[in-house]
Amino acid sequence: MNPNLVNIHLVNSNSTHHKEDLPGDFAIWIFIFAEMLAFGVLFVAYAFTRANNVELFNASQLTLSRTSGAINTLVLITSSYFVVQGVAAIKRGLNKQCAHWLTGAFLLGGVFVGIKIVEFHAKFAADITMSTNNFYMFYLSLTFFHFMHVLMGMIILACIIVKARRSAYSAQDYVGVETGASFWHMVDFLWIILFPLVYIIR
Amino acid sequence: MSNDRAQSKLFPTTIWLVLVALTIATFSLGEAGLSGKGVMLTLLAITMIKSQLVANYFMALRKTKFLWRAIMFGYFIIVGGLIAMAYLMGLK
Amino acid sequence: MKYKSQAVAKLYFIAAIGLFLGQILFGLIMGLQYVVGDFLFPAIPFNVARMVHTNLLIVWLLFGFMGASYYLIPEESETELFSPKLAIITFWVFLAAGAITVLGYLLVPYASLAKWTGNDLLNTMGREFLEQPLPTKVGIVLVALSWLFNIVMTVLKGRKTAISLVLSLGMLGLAVFFLFSFYNPVNLVKDKFYWWWVVHLWVEGVWELILGAMLAFVLIKVTGVDREVVEKWLYVIITMTLVTGIIGTGHHYFWIGAPAYWQWWGSVFSALEPIPFLMMTIFAFNMVNKRRREHPNKAAVLWALGTSVMAFLGAGLWGFLHTLAPINYYTHGTQLTAAHGHLAFFGAYALVVLTMISYAMPVLRGRAANPERAQIMEMWSFWLMTISMFFIALFLTGAGVVQVWLQRLSPTPMSFMAVQDQISIFYWAREAAGVVFLIGLLLYIGSFFVKGDSHAFE
Ligand code: HEM
Ligand code: HEM
Ligand SMILES: [Fe+2]
Repeated sequence: MNPNLVNIHLVNSNSTHHKEDLPGDFAIWIFIFAEMLAFGVLFVAYAFTRANNVELFNASQLTLSRTSGAINTLVLITSSYFVVQGVAAIKRGLNKQCAHWLTGAFLLGGVFVGIKIVEFHAKFAADITMSTNNFYMFYLSLTFFHFMHVLMGMIILACIIVKARRSAYSAQDYVGVETGASFWHMVDFLWIILFPLVYIIR
Repeated sequence: MSNDRAQSKLFPTTIWLVLVALTIATFSLGEAGLSGKGVMLTLLAITMIKSQLVANYFMALRKTKFLWRAIMFGYFIIVGGLIAMAYLMGLK
Repeated sequence: MKYKSQAVAKLYFIAAIGLFLGQILFGLIMGLQYVVGDFLFPAIPFNVARMVHTNLLIVWLLFGFMGASYYLIPEESETELFSPKLAIITFWVFLAAGAITVLGYLLVPYASLAKWTGNDLLNTMGREFLEQPLPTKVGIVLVALSWLFNIVMTVLKGRKTAISLVLSLGMLGLAVFFLFSFYNPVNLVKDKFYWWWVVHLWVEGVWELILGAMLAFVLIKVTGVDREVVEKWLYVIITMTLVTGIIGTGHHYFWIGAPAYWQWWGSVFSALEPIPFLMMTIFAFNMVNKRRREHPNKAAVLWALGTSVMAFLGAGLWGFLHTLAPINYYTHGTQLTAAHGHLAFFGAYALVVLTMISYAMPVLRGRAANPERAQIMEMWSFWLMTISMFFIALFLTGAGVVQVWLQRLSPTPMSFMAVQDQISIFYWAREAAGVVFLIGLLLYIGSFFVKGDSHAFE
């Protein structure tokens, strides 16, 4: 654990960023690491449960829409890219541009959510639930848990967009933007592992 | 790699394009219906590159202490390694 | 004492300590009954002693929480309590209701008590921790609401801080989740759900907010560390607590007839529950290391650090021990559960109340800290109680492991009672440690009566 947490306040009010500091508020990184841990455990649990039910997993996996999964991967990667541009903009003090990039990212988040809802709907319409079998249990748990993170990330982005619109950040003070950006990248990072694991590898 | 390159305007775009290309590669392997040890390892290798690109360049951990990059890399090695191990166990 | 109305806390603290003593006496009675089956039979049967032991625990912790918040909130809000009179009335109502209920448990057969108190009207009795007759349950709700009202009104008219916000949220949750105790479905699966929504969501949810807020308050006072730093920690800790704790309820759904996916959800999320407890420990030690002043109340600092460590051990470590479904499959409802229940309740909630009393009581008695000799005695009592409770947990863990082996794992499993005979040595050891605990508690009470030169305010 980083003893710096005690100094969060000092770090935040520091305008110059030292090389060693994590981007954004250190508190968000505690969440990021905790979330990664939770997903990590679930990923590994998926893999080992699959090892004991290979046929079942391979058969059920075929019922997923790989195309939706791939499109959603592209959507998240692109939105992450927009967020990177947003952070770059605010580092130059450009609140408006920052808000534009983040709005783009936010809208792509919405696209992700839309596609995901269609996917969920298809499964529920086919009477598939978490109790159907172990594959669907993991598929629904993992993607739903991730889905909630996308929604959370969108809420965070929305808050930052509102503040950026009011020019609340500056080239000196943009920790808030970096904090939200870090969370959003984590959502992307986790999906990048989830997609091949659950949709592709067989 | 120099810092100015990481900060140049085109650099994030390049990373983005690489990520897109790798995603398409992953998708194609899936569409081709390929399976087996080699394919699994290839997919994991692609995933490793993608995840680390996001961690180092999007999350901008490249500019931070070695520790943080090590955590992100170690995370993938452990999680990816266990996934590979479980896959191999399932082959028999 | 900065605000006159803080004085009401004193009543609550005294009652809390008195009931604490009662709880321990009944614990010792039961501990003996474990090995000498007919001890005090038929005057105090085991089931009655158990009910009194656990109910007194809950009630003295509630007295502690209330007293602590009546002390803490005026200071945080920088204004007098909204209504000290209401706080005093609430105190007597709660004390009277508590006393009558315990007398009812002891003097009247439980079935008759149920009949007389309208359990036919609304069936709520007969479940562990929630044994209270209907009028008592209603009383608890009214007391909690009066407490909440008083605190919230005080916060609203004064300064609003993160600590008072988190504390109020915790109290609100405490009151709301207790409402689940009024529903006792015939369906056993449903019954278990509602029961855990009180018990689990209390100790692994909203009570943790109260714990965090009180620890943060004492740490600010004794270390002088910046409030903003403390507040950030508090927010991170409670967010982690709520996310892991609420979904972590699933670790009680493994074998009660809930869908199987709960074995995954419950295992994974409850396995993360120790993280906020660990953060609390790191937080407490960090604050003390970065302290900007040497507070004369050394005992309070010891209690605060002790709380953070013991809460992590009891809840975090001993909880983790049996929270994964494949392990809980074997350990469910064994002495391991009791080991964890004891260490967690003591480490987190008993200790945080004692921490608040240790910090606040000298101030309420007109000094910054107690005389040196009283503090030394208090610190002895800390070590005696903490170490003996740790040993109680170790002995019960030993008993639990042997129990799991003989009764559930072994190729030739033994019956429950046969196993109990085999592990009686652990129960004797637990009782011995319990006696040391009692000595520690008596020493603690004694420390209030030590005279000497006390530290005046700076
Ligand atoms: C201060 C916090 C806590 C307190 C006061 C507490 C207290 C208790 C008590 C009294 C029980 C027994 C309930 C019964 O009568 O059946 C219990 C059960 C349990 N607790 Fe905790 N607990 C706390 C935190 C935790 C944490 C953080 C975890 C997980 C990491 C945990 C895991 C469990 C499990 C798995 C059981 C069920 C045991 C069984 O199946 O028999 N607890 N807890
Ligand atoms: C110091 C001497 C103590 C002794 C000898 C003792 C003994 C006991 C016994 C025999 C039981 C019943 C277990 C059963 O049903 O089989 C019990 C339950 C319980 N005691 Fe104690 N106790 C002591 C102190 C405490 C303290 C200090 C606390 C908390 C601060 C506490 C909290 C509890 C709880 C929460 C339960 C219910 C546990 C469960 O449901 O698993 N006890 N105790
Ligand atoms: Fe629990």
